[in-house]
Amino acid sequence: MKLNEQGQNLFARIGTIQVVAFVLLTILGVRLYYLQVVQGAYWAERAENQRIRLIPIPAPRGAIFDRNGKILVDSRPTYNVVLSNEPLKKLDINDRVEDYARGLGLETRYVVERLNLIKKQNDFETMVLKENATIGDISWVESHTLEYPELRIELQPQRFYPLGTVMAHVLGYVGEISPKQLESEEWKAKGLRPGDIIGKGGLEEYYDEFLRGRPGYRKVIVDSRGRVQSEIEVVQPQAGQDLITTVDLDLQLAAEQKLSDTPTKRGTIIAEDPNNGEILVMASLPSFDPNIFVQGSKTPEGRKQIAAYWQDEQRPLFNRAIQGRYPPGSTWKIPESVAGLEQGVITVAHSNLACGGGIQIGNKFTRCMGNHGSPPLGYAITHSCDGYYYRLALKMGIEGIIKMVENFDYDKRSGIDLPNEKISQTPKSWKPIIEKREGKWSDIRTVYSGIGQDTVVITPISHIRAIASIGVRGRMYTPHFLKEFKAIAAMGEEGQAGYFPARAAFTFQHPEPKIIEMTPEQNDLIVKGMWGVVNAGGTATSIKIPGFDIAGKTGTAQVAELGKDVGAKKDHAWFASFAPAEKPEIAVLALVENVGFGGSFAAPAVKGVYEAYLLKHPRGEQPPIDAKLVAKR
Amino acid sequence: MVAIIEKRDLRDFDWLTSLLAIAIAGFGVWQIHNALPTENYWTKQIFGIGIAVVAFLVVAFSDYRWIIDSAPYFYVFGLVLLALVLTPLGVEVNGQQAWVKLPVVGQFQPSEFMKIPTVLMLAKYFGARRGGELTLREVFIGGAIMAGPIGLIMLEPDAGQAITYFPLLAAVFFLSGIKIRYVVILTVAIAVLVPAAYMVGVKTGKIKRYQQERINAIIDPDSVDPRGYGYHTIQSVITVGKGGLSGIKGDSETSQSVLKFLPEPQTDFIFAVTAENTGFIGCVSLLLAYALLLSRLISGAREANDRPAMLVIMAIVTAMSFQIFINVGMALGFLPVIGVPLPLMSAGLSAILTTFIAIGFAVSIRMRRFVN
Repeated sequence: MKLNEQGQNLFARIGTIQVVAFVLLTILGVRLYYLQVVQGAYWAERAENQRIRLIPIPAPRGAIFDRNGKILVDSRPTYNVVLSNEPLKKLDINDRVEDYARGLGLETRYVVERLNLIKKQNDFETMVLKENATIGDISWVESHTLEYPELRIELQPQRFYPLGTVMAHVLGYVGEISPKQLESEEWKAKGLRPGDIIGKGGLEEYYDEFLRGRPGYRKVIVDSRGRVQSEIEVVQPQAGQDLITTVDLDLQLAAEQKLSDTPTKRGTIIAEDPNNGEILVMASLPSFDPNIFVQGSKTPEGRKQIAAYWQDEQRPLFNRAIQGRYPPGSTWKIPESVAGLEQGVITVAHSNLACGGGIQIGNKFTRCMGNHGSPPLGYAITHSCDGYYYRLALKMGIEGIIKMVENFDYDKRSGIDLPNEKISQTPKSWKPIIEKREGKWSDIRTVYSGIGQDTVVITPISHIRAIASIGVRGRMYTPHFLKEFKAIAAMGEEGQAGYFPARAAFTFQHPEPKIIEMTPEQNDLIVKGMWGVVNAGGTATSIKIPGFDIAGKTGTAQVAELGKDVGAKKDHAWFASFAPAEKPEIAVLALVENVGFGGSFAAPAVKGVYEAYLLKHPRGEQPPIDAKLVAKR
Repeated sequence: MVAIIEKRDLRDFDWLTSLLAIAIAGFGVWQIHNALPTENYWTKQIFGIGIAVVAFLVVAFSDYRWIIDSAPYFYVFGLVLLALVLTPLGVEVNGQQAWVKLPVVGQFQPSEFMKIPTVLMLAKYFGARRGGELTLREVFIGGAIMAGPIGLIMLEPDAGQAITYFPLLAAVFFLSGIKIRYVVILTVAIAVLVPAAYMVGVKTGKIKRYQQERINAIIDPDSVDPRGYGYHTIQSVITVGKGGLSGIKGDSETSQSVLKFLPEPQTDFIFAVTAENTGFIGCVSLLLAYALLLSRLISGAREANDRPAMLVIMAIVTAMSFQIFINVGMALGFLPVIGVPLPLMSAGLSAILTTFIAIGFAVSIRMRRFVN
């Protein structure tokens, strides 16, 4: 107590220091209370958010097979060379450009481009330097792990179309979901996220829901650099369902070959089983390679190729079978014959109508290809007498033609299991427009509509459905590709996070076939006419196959204005058929663009498909395509 | 120098202060382990504490009067060490040449140790005065004593460490009869001038960009680039807040420091680690332990035999309080990030040794309070 005596309020000053120290400690305590007790939960959540990452595990997409189990679409593992962020921080990346370019066979310019992208993102785990790495790339990376620790190889499944351009329109392709799709309610409801792969076009799109697997994820703890430290939870993905289609790959290949043998190499061939609507062939040429869409969308070269597809005047991305609309020409005479009989304009007993070598409407004479006298229906079909059908159309009147359009569903989609099917245009859709434009519907238009020209432009798919029904007593089935989706087992445990219920196998749900009303006599009369086209001196006798009776109808549809022939705009060649005529197993339709006469170009292409069919189903032997269904019939 | 330990010494030995300091240091070792369980910082710290306790005992059982008398020699020796830092013997860490590596002794931080000779020097000079109000001449001499070490430390440069020297001088001035009027004026001046100086510094570019961002991180944490210099502050606040009431109890899977979100967890941000692992309960206990230790030291100052002894203890108390406030304030996100260690807690041999030597003085002084 000696110091205090020295004055200067010394103890008071010591006390002041003590008080100040305590006040400072109290401030800390209050702040601590605020951060830890009041805001504790908030900060704990922020801490959790920055350390927890969900790393998706992609689910394998279901494969697609033909009816005999031949693979059409698959996924294959691809390897990417990726750059890890962490080691990059310690080195000058510009020193590596030349090394990477040399080692991975990349352009220097491209490497610089990628590295600049990386510099913009200061928080990433890995970044793809090269996609679809080759064996050489992989071994180069593996053997340089000491020099370039920043490089790694990552495995990623990629959709693969082993057949390239074959059937590309039917299969479609896959790609990342677009930002626009992500915003739509339809996709949001399915829980898709940016970067998810979905089907685009074709069966990939139509059956995406079933082909697409359900991705799993790894819930991990990462450190501040994004490196995985430990795993909290793993949810295994559930693979997509495998799709067995109705397609017969051998017939498909034959059809595509035949189409590419034609002068223009443009057109479509469809084959189906008339007894149930199963599509056996759907070829559309020119075609495209879906692999380019899958692999190429991220490289400049790939993007260039995709742009070229879009700009190509031959329209390779266009599925002519369901999106093309063509005047059917004389093939139109088949449904018209049915309608004529059904509407009572002609009868089985009295089906003769004058040919007259053509018809005079007003001051205009429209010619027939020949002069057939006054032929009966069968003869008119076999020899494709235009004069007969000019008169039949006039007798039926345009209302009769429209009734026929409705009866054969030319005013509807066929209902095939593919996206973006177009609806045919017919007098039904044109009449109101023409009447508004021209004041009336003139007789000449009725005459033209009788031979499938002018106001008649139809999709090949709607046409084969109608023609095929003639062979099976007027039953129009819904054409389809789905034969069966295979079942997939459940994943995970029920009631827990990451549980995926089992997905059952299923087959195509056949809608009731539409029935075209006709008597067996009427039916036989038309089939006989069609049989004659190939087998009795008709317009397609060149494709006759002994022991296998084809019933068909040629068509030569004028593209340029009727009556004129304009250079490159040659006629479209048609041939629509089924066989064997008396008990059809298969219906085949061909349309070849701008080549000329149907009997010369379309019919031989169809013959090629029948020959391929006969190789697999030789005559004299049972059973044809689907034993059960045929037996039932 | 080593005194013979007598029975009376043991009787008067300040067991409470000593054990409290060792307890806090031990608690610190646990937190250093929590910070980075797989690294060996905590074992090094145990080793450091061992050395520090030996030094502490040597100082405690020595006669402080003799040591204060010899202050000029220690002071000059210390300046030489600080100068050595700037020679090729110095070691650069994170852009600061604050370390020196000597053969046999190893690597240490002279700016930490230099606090002791500076305190002794101030105590020797201002302890000799006869009372009355502080004269201008005395202010200049006090300033001169500080100028040596602070000048050399600023050359390293280590602004954070330099700042911790000012409380020493402030305490000595305050207890040497500076007019309260000046204290008030100085306080107001600081309150006005510091922000003003900051503004001017920003305008003229004298304040570096990273320093600016550290300030901005306090004023408005959300406007700062979370990956830039504001990162440290934000991560520290997250770490503290996450601890909640009772902490994560060593769950290293989710630890902010183990996952490297929290930078420098074993040194500058050891308090954030403590907060994460022991929560509000642990932190308040630690702050109470500091309060108790400081109180005990202050009561030693009140009972001191002579003026230099009182000044030594109060300078130490003020410096410790200041360091605790700066360090914890930084961890709690309301003071800018300055590399000041938390006394007795932060890993680092130099700091722990210095703190224990300082407390050793206080214990020595207390032990001899009845001696004349």
